[in-house]
Amino acid sequence: MKSPVEILKEIRPEFDFTASSDFIEDGMLDSFDMVTFVSTLDKTYGISIQGVDIVPENFKNLQTIEALLRKSGVQL
Amino acid sequence: MSPIQKLGQVFDAVQKAKAGATAFCTNFFPVELKLQGWIDHGELFGELRNGAAFFFRKDGDFWHYYFCAADAVILQREIAALPGLKTEPVITDLVGNESTLNHLLSVLERVGFRQYTRLQRMARIGRPESTTGCSQIVFAEKADCRAVMDLIENSFDRYGEQLPMLYEIESAIESRQILVASHDDELAGLLFFETQGFASVVRFWAVAEKFRALKVGSALMQHYFKTQNSVRRFTLWVNAKNENAIQKYQHYGYASDGLVDHILVNEMIRT
Repeated sequence: MKSPVEILKEIRPEFDFTASSDFIEDGMLDSFDMVTFVSTLDKTYGISIQGVDIVPENFKNLQTIEALLRKSGVQL
Repeated sequence: MSPIQKLGQVFDAVQKAKAGATAFCTNFFPVELKLQGWIDHGELFGELRNGAAFFFRKDGDFWHYYFCAADAVILQREIAALPGLKTEPVITDLVGNESTLNHLLSVLERVGFRQYTRLQRMARIGRPESTTGCSQIVFAEKADCRAVMDLIENSFDRYGEQLPMLYEIESAIESRQILVASHDDELAGLLFFETQGFASVVRFWAVAEKFRALKVGSALMQHYFKTQNSVRRFTLWVNAKNENAIQKYQHYGYASDGLVDHILVNEMIRT
C-alpha cells in the first residue's frame, strides 16, 4: 500500500514533501491538488474523508495528514 | 443574500454545506488573501440554503457565483431558486479534469447557464536552464497602475479571464508581482504573476499592439524566469481557443496538465 508521501510524490513529483513543514505556504499543493490527493487517499485506504475535514490545516504537512488518516480510521 | 464581513462567515457556511455531504461539489477554491480582499472591499455576499452555500462576488456590472453543495441534486434545486439568476448578469465556472465535469455542466445548463468559453491550465516544471535578464524590464511602480489596468482590460476578456480590480493591481505592484517594459514613456508590455513558495502562476502577459514587433513579450518572460530562482513549478491559465498564446507558452516549456475551467454565463449576459 502506498504511503501518503508516495501519493504526494505521484501528484507533484517535482517537490520534496519530506523537506517541508507547510505544503500550502510553500506552494507545493494547491486546492485542485488537494481534491486529487483526497480522492487517492480514499481509494488507497478504503476510507471516506469527511467533507468537513477537507481544509488546508489538515494537509499542511505529513504529520497533519497522518493525523487525519488516523482520525478517518486508518492504522498507520 | 447578505454581505460577508468576516472570513469566519465563509468557513462556517462551507462547513455547513460539507457536513454530511456524500458527493460534495464546489467551484469555490479561494486563496485566503484574495478572499480577505473581496471582503475588505465589500464585494462578497453569501447565502446559506438547505445543503448548499452560495457566494456572490460583484465584479463591475456582473456577478460571479460560487457554490458549495452536498451533492449535485441539491445544487440544482438550490441554485435554481436564487432570485438573482433570472435578473442579474451572472458568471460561474467549473474547474477539473474534462471527464469529471460533464455532470455538473449539465446541471448548470439546466438552470439557465450556457457555456461561454473554456480555459486550460498549462504547467512547466523548473525554470529554463539559461535565462537572460533584460535591463529594460523593471517591476511596475505605483504610477504605472492605471496603464497596467488599461492594458489588461484591452487585452483580455472581462467575462472569461477574471480581470483584477485596481486595488489588486496596487497590491501586486507593492508585492513586486508585475514586470513592465516601457518605450518612449508608454507601457509596452507587462507580466503579472503570483509566486507562493516554490510555485508561480502567470496571471496576465500582454504586449500593447503597437509594440508587438519589438520582442517585448519574450524579454518579459525571460526576465520573469530569471527573477523566480526558487520556483519549481510554473503554471498559468489560457483560453483554450487562443492557439497563438498556447504556442507561445509551449515555446517556453509549458504544457497542458489536463485541468480545464469552463466559464458559463446566464441569459442576462448577451455576447
